[in-house]
Amino acid sequence: MNDLDVRLRALLPRGRVLTSPAQLAAYGADGLGYKNYRPDAVVLPADAAELAAFMRGAKRLAVPLVMRGAGTSLSGGPVAAQGGVIVHTSALKAVPVINAHGFWCEVESGVTLNDLDAILKPHGVFYPPDPSSGPVCTLGGNVASNAGGAHCFRYGVTSNYVLGVEAVLLDGSVHRFGGPAGGRGPWREDWKRFMIGSEGTLAAFTRFWLRLLPLPEKVWTFRATYPDLTTTEAAIHALVADPSYPAAIEMLDPRGVAMVESSQMACGLPEGSFLLLVEIDGPAPLVDGRVPHVAELLRRAGSTDVTFSEEALIRQKLWKARKAAGGLLGQLSPSYVVQDAVIPKRALAEVLRLVYDEADAAGIRVVNVFHAGDGNLHPNFLFDSRVPGELEKVERISKHLMERVIAVGGTLSGEHGIGNDKSGYMPLVFGPDSMRLQLAVPAAFNPTHQMNPLKVFDDRRFGS
Amino acid sequence: MDPEAPSSHFSNCTHCGFCLAVCPTYKLTGDENNSPRGRLRLWSEEAAGRLPRDKWTDFYTEECVGCLACETACPATVPYGQIFERIRHDHVTTGRSHPGPVLRLAAALVTAPFWFNLALLPARLLRRCGLAWPPLLFPGRPPLLQSSAAYAAELMRLRNPTGPRVALLTGCLMEAMFREINFATIRVLIENNVRVVIPEHQGCCGAFQEHTGLGDAAALGARNRKAFGSVEVDAIVCNSSGCGYALGKSLAPDRPVRDVLAFLGDLGPVRRQREPTDATRVYVDLPCHLVHGQKSPGIPAAVLDATGYRWELAPNARDCCGSGGVYNLQKPENARAILAGKAAFLNEAEGAPVVLATSNHVCMMQWNSAGKSGLVKRPYEVRHVIQLLDPGECFGRGSGPA
Repeated sequence: MNDLDVRLRALLPRGRVLTSPAQLAAYGADGLGYKNYRPDAVVLPADAAELAAFMRGAKRLAVPLVMRGAGTSLSGGPVAAQGGVIVHTSALKAVPVINAHGFWCEVESGVTLNDLDAILKPHGVFYPPDPSSGPVCTLGGNVASNAGGAHCFRYGVTSNYVLGVEAVLLDGSVHRFGGPAGGRGPWREDWKRFMIGSEGTLAAFTRFWLRLLPLPEKVWTFRATYPDLTTTEAAIHALVADPSYPAAIEMLDPRGVAMVESSQMACGLPEGSFLLLVEIDGPAPLVDGRVPHVAELLRRAGSTDVTFSEEALIRQKLWKARKAAGGLLGQLSPSYVVQDAVIPKRALAEVLRLVYDEADAAGIRVVNVFHAGDGNLHPNFLFDSRVPGELEKVERISKHLMERVIAVGGTLSGEHGIGNDKSGYMPLVFGPDSMRLQLAVPAAFNPTHQMNPLKVFDDRRFGS
Repeated sequence: MDPEAPSSHFSNCTHCGFCLAVCPTYKLTGDENNSPRGRLRLWSEEAAGRLPRDKWTDFYTEECVGCLACETACPATVPYGQIFERIRHDHVTTGRSHPGPVLRLAAALVTAPFWFNLALLPARLLRRCGLAWPPLLFPGRPPLLQSSAAYAAELMRLRNPTGPRVALLTGCLMEAMFREINFATIRVLIENNVRVVIPEHQGCCGAFQEHTGLGDAAALGARNRKAFGSVEVDAIVCNSSGCGYALGKSLAPDRPVRDVLAFLGDLGPVRRQREPTDATRVYVDLPCHLVHGQKSPGIPAAVLDATGYRWELAPNARDCCGSGGVYNLQKPENARAILAGKAAFLNEAEGAPVVLATSNHVCMMQWNSAGKSGLVKRPYEVRHVIQLLDPGECFGRGSGPA
């Protein structure tokens, strides 16, 4: 056992400490499987109390600390970019309080979204953010990256639902920012907004207080095909402006549709067209009455093939196919990079054309499956990391894309976070003053940048 | 996929993590190394020379139950089961993994059905007499001497069915230890006007070898290809989903293998009549090798309805029970912990009697152990679904018909 191993075991008498090379390999990557950063150690605290106790001694370890939920991030967030210790929160799985009448719950940071959904359902309430990694991703990762998902078009993202955060700072102090009472009473300062989207750079999260909503009584899912980007964009504008106020407006391009249809997720999508997936929900009489109107709107925008269903099985199949798109890419290519830019919707067709043109010119395959209602693009660039020069091509296209995104008034990330995958683009959006202020926040909470260094900011390095 | 180079498919894994949510050992330990994407990473790093041979790689490989739930969850269709079986076989042949002497003896014996049947004759006798027995052995009254093949031939002569013709795999452990299930299968098929053939010279399906990494599964496959390859039947059927999965791989792509319950479901089986006062409740658990291995949607509702009992799927019916072939012998603590979560519902389940029904004998063994080991503190019975269709079946006496 090396020195780090001994010191970690002293800090975690009940949890587990992994230091053998074969115990670290699996923790080398997040959802971007082709990028590898081997940590020096991984620790699995036995519970929230042990995580807090660990944090009290962690500063003296003098190595970077990286919080990790399920490792499904698509931005290089929960990886040890500067080495150090990964703190895996998989044991923090309790949901101590469900207050269905007050529409809030208290959950530990390692609870997965699907487990929370299953626990909440019998109470008639739900937690709206729904990133596609829902079956496995944790609330801790969701809060750290301010996760979104398909239904965030109407419901909003994680920050709209976090009432309070319990965070442990590097001095071991436990802080409760916000809370079910909205920050009053025994709660500390309402600084939860600093915590949400902080990507593990400020503190370790142990638990959250989340706002819930009543489950919608009725849901209808529509799919409509469009011959080209221009008509698709027109349909999106019409939907966004319509008082039926869809919960989700998703787009799959013909390559995305073909990928789904040639996989085990095939669900009879018409191939060769751009496809919109739209959902409306709410009280049954209200929503049922809007169905013909939404169908007509989709047709008027240029679709000759509109279908819709309220049947749970059909709807689930459509959503399963949509949400598995990231993993399906593995059938086409060993590696992929997904961008997460958000743009004003009026520029959708224009920016997507740039994506196609640049990728086609470079011989890189690209699949677009994304949150169209939010203008949140997810071009997936497929490449083989073993072929020299391919990654560089993808990076070049990504850079051009980001420059165009900024030029049309967009920004870098809608829901995946910056991590170390997009940190290089930060100066494209933020000027020196803004960068200085943003860096001052992690410096206030952990002056040596021990928490998740080399993330969000390229030069935010531990020990410098 | 090239069976000689499973590592070429490591790269299909995009590391998306969908497999974590369904992996019994990840759920148990929260350790990513103990998950499909973690194990794939360990094996691929070692194959690429970036990771030295390490006892922890051996440990995490042995930890895998082999339930294949990850294959169902995997959007990138990584052939995890094939990769895992090859790695496990490599680990055993190169001395990195050491299955115990009992398993080694069993692996040798199952290749010789005559000797295996003879060796387990005392066990059949003790089961038949209802004597106290280890927790894994569920009660039943196996015929002692008459083979399933002889029984099928006799019943065929007596009943002379005229419908579709099927070839049945009688299996090794099924025939040597749990023969009453084979007999029930034959009775139910013939009652449904199905002609039953038991091909001669058939052998173990190879699942035991795949589960343990011992022996030569390919040789067993070749033997069964010969035994089943030329029989003229409408279907080749299995009454154990693990065996069906293994035999299906051996006979692919020429001869498809069907689960006997799926076959009966298509026929629309004879419905059993039960007394209106019958309070029996059947909870159906779906074997991993049925839903994740054979990629079947489950046990047909038409078959379960035909049992005449009130039935419902057990909670989390598609999750592993921890049996994993011989996993419950090799990793008893994990197997028990996995079962604990699945079996807890039986303590409160309605019904008199309560029956847990499934379609794989090793899952039946695992479910039976829940009572013997104290996980379930009330009486319940474990049955193969085919036994619930058997006219002679009845409950409450701790054993089925001969």
